[in-house]
Amino acid sequence: MTDRLAKPAVAEMPGIEGLPRKSGELVFHGDWERRAFALAVALCEQGHYDWDEFRAYLIASIAAAGESPAAPNPAAPGYYEHWLASLERTLTAKGLLAP
Amino acid sequence: MADHEHDRDHGHAHTAPPNPYLEPRRSAAETQALEARVAKLEQLLIDKGIVSRATLDHIVAVYENDIGPMNGARVVARAWLDADYKQRLLHDATAAIAELGFSGLQGEHMVVVENSAQVHNVVVCTLCSCYPWPVLGLPPAWYKSPPYRSRIVIDPRGVLAEFGLTLGEDVEVRVWDSSAEIRYLVLPERPAGTERLSEAELAALVTRDAMIGVAKISL
Repeated sequence: MTDRLAKPAVAEMPGIEGLPRKSGELVFHGDWERRAFALAVALCEQGHYDWDEFRAYLIASIAAAGESPAAPNPAAPGYYEHWLASLERTLTAKGLLAP
Repeated sequence: MADHEHDRDHGHAHTAPPNPYLEPRRSAAETQALEARVAKLEQLLIDKGIVSRATLDHIVAVYENDIGPMNGARVVARAWLDADYKQRLLHDATAAIAELGFSGLQGEHMVVVENSAQVHNVVVCTLCSCYPWPVLGLPPAWYKSPPYRSRIVIDPRGVLAEFGLTLGEDVEVRVWDSSAEIRYLVLPERPAGTERLSEAELAALVTRDAMIGVAKISL
């Protein structure tokens, strides 16, 4: 039914946790952001966790920084810093970082 | 003008949510620490055999190419190739777009309007910047600008000419005013000479501007 490759759950997160985009295109400020993005999506697509589990950490991390679209704070952590912290939390919770 | 009731206060989520994360926030030194942190995590997962670098590269390519305006382009390409799909799209665009797996609309109805040799459609939101962002990504700056929003209604031919699109006097121009409830998408004319192209090749020809109606598609 669909030949679309990108998962809507990832591409269309509705709130402040949504992927930063300009003219519809993803915004990465450095290669580390691109790689952190790929890690989180790849491990989900491989079935290590549901996207909503990762997203819950992401929402919580952004909320803890106290930032909202109405009250942006450029001194707070950037989007992919929240993303990276959420990825680490998800992987730890799933035991994927254990030796 | 398309008739609609427009919400006056615009106090609800009918445009793309403003995203505060579009500008970089960290110094070079801070970025270097983040680079190292990701590299370490990536290497650990690769060493454990959990992911491969090829998989990661593939994911990035998919997401960089597959969201935003490409969604709308796939809808257009499918309609060009599949007459039944086109009928469904013109009859109930919301359902036909969902068939391709594109969701994310927040209760708005999608309406697709078809260009032909006789009719050219163009989309605006005169009051703010209502836009079908799940299929077109985020709106371009000019779409949100007051001059476009007012002038495309008063002088559509003149504004389209400024975009480089000159229409013959025999072509009827229809301007569609998006609203909180209804989002329009233009189905552009399929260019001649594309009979042998695949759906993916056709989708690659379709531009955001053509789906707003300020351009035609050319080879």
